[in-house]
Amino acid sequence: MATGLSYREKSLYASLAAELIVYGPYFFLHRENSLNKVVGMIVGIIVLQVILQSVIAAVTRNRVTDERDRQIELRGYRAGYLMITSLMVIGLGLLWFHATAGNLHLDSRMVGLHFLSVFFGMLVIADITKTAAQIVSYRRGL
Amino acid sequence: MPAIRNQIKELRALREMTQQELADRVGVTRQTVIAMEQDKYSPSLETAFKVAIVLGVPIEQCFQYAPRGKR
Repeated sequence: MATGLSYREKSLYASLAAELIVYGPYFFLHRENSLNKVVGMIVGIIVLQVILQSVIAAVTRNRVTDERDRQIELRGYRAGYLMITSLMVIGLGLLWFHATAGNLHLDSRMVGLHFLSVFFGMLVIADITKTAAQIVSYRRGL
Repeated sequence: MPAIRNQIKELRALREMTQQELADRVGVTRQTVIAMEQDKYSPSLETAFKVAIVLGVPIEQCFQYAPRGKR
């Protein structure tokens, strides 16, 4: 497959597509939380990633990675880490604010699932940030 | 823009070597050679030495340090 993209870049575009396809509808279309949806999303992303990565590996002859790939990977992880720590600080701040304002009703049956959804959302946003940062680094240079 | 400039493109053209050939001999991807030639990536010291050896020139003929604002 003679394109200008390396194996790692193709893999990253596929990952980003899979993340947006699976997580996008979950966070923007579904209003109700349920454990089945969370489990379905996790299974969905794993299956889609395996299929896409297998196809890319099959059609890419040169699967060499080098020092630049590793540097870009680290840059992506740094961006993802900064994103998740920022979201955690904001999330905990909001939790504290609502708790002190008396708006938090922890006796709700759905609160556990709601927290699971929020923290899973943070992980997803951080993962998408990591992938996007890596793609930008490939395009713009280190 | 990295502070390391290079003459990889010119030296490679003199030797009629393709980007893929250079990449294979140095042990990097063709995209990394492209990034180096476009000054979008400064290679590690080890890779810089390998590039110079493959191109058959001293490293200082292939890579130069150009501090930002002094080009």
